[in-house]
Amino acid sequence: MIIGLQVTAILFALLMIYFAVLHFRRREITSMEMASWTIIWIATILITVFPEVLRTYAQTFAVSRLFDLMVVGGFILVIFMVTTAYMKIKRLEKKVEDFIRKEAITNVSTSKQSKNK
Amino acid sequence: MKIAIIIPAYNEEDRIGETLKGLLKIGLPMVVVDDGSKDRTSLVAQKHADYFLKHRINMGKGSAMKTGAEFAFKNGFEAVIYFDADGQHSTEDLSKFIDKLNDGYEIILGTRTYSYDVPLVRYIGNKFASLLVSLLFGLYVSDLICGFRALTKNAYKQIIWESKGYGVETEMAVRISKTKLKMCEVPVKTIYLDSVKGVTLLDAFNILFQVFKWRIEI
Repeated sequence: MIIGLQVTAILFALLMIYFAVLHFRRREITSMEMASWTIIWIATILITVFPEVLRTYAQTFAVSRLFDLMVVGGFILVIFMVTTAYMKIKRLEKKVEDFIRKEAITNVSTSKQSKNK
Repeated sequence: MKIAIIIPAYNEEDRIGETLKGLLKIGLPMVVVDDGSKDRTSLVAQKHADYFLKHRINMGKGSAMKTGAEFAFKNGFEAVIYFDADGQHSTEDLSKFIDKLNDGYEIILGTRTYSYDVPLVRYIGNKFASLLVSLLFGLYVSDLICGFRALTKNAYKQIIWESKGYGVETEMAVRISKTKLKMCEVPVKTIYLDSVKGVTLLDAFNILFQVFKWRIEI
């Protein structure tokens, strides 16, 4: 069962490395971002193959099973990434709104009768 | 007082023409803000509007209202009256807003009364929202989501909202509660034409969530 999970996790990590390279080739992410993602997913593969390396951390945080530690770690990572993405979207939304509104005010069309009012 | 009527519009090709023709009789300058309509709203509106502004993409009613107000106040108007593009408001009620503005009121909120064909579900939902806002912010507004309202330049500066969508009217009320602006309500007629457009149940839940968020933020 554990082996099956490990194989799935490794395949998933390899797929994510492929996506990182693909997006880099399409120039959608920088080389730095591509390298960062590759390192993260290689680390994931190493932890999946050698989970015992986390044993010390599990003891430090008083978590009895390594799997629990990985699940908790995964949750923290996902929450962090969702929050970061949310903040970025909010900032982007504000920029788009400001641009659209500014453009509308600049390109106003005026009718002839309004000049007489 | 120099007043402009602001008409935010989104996909209103069928009704905006009649609405603007009705408003022409009033004689006040009309500012139409087309919020990225995909139909012929722009073509119809440009025939009648004194000033026509267009959002390249749909941003929501709150954004369109803000664009209209900023344009009007930058161009020397001292007050604005918001009027929905779908013809659900009566032009006869405009004089009430103009009179109140001339009397020195800075914010005038239109209030739809039950006798004027407001559907029961909306009426109950609206009253619940009014009570909730009253409890949380200490200001009772009889009709929180009525789009027929007026405000002066000074009032706008004090209550600039962040809402892009239908939460804008409620946010305005919340922000009013934090100011000392001279405010009043006037009864208005409302003609319900479309059950799909306007504030949906989903919007209502979203606004409810926002109300709690504003309690913390504002």
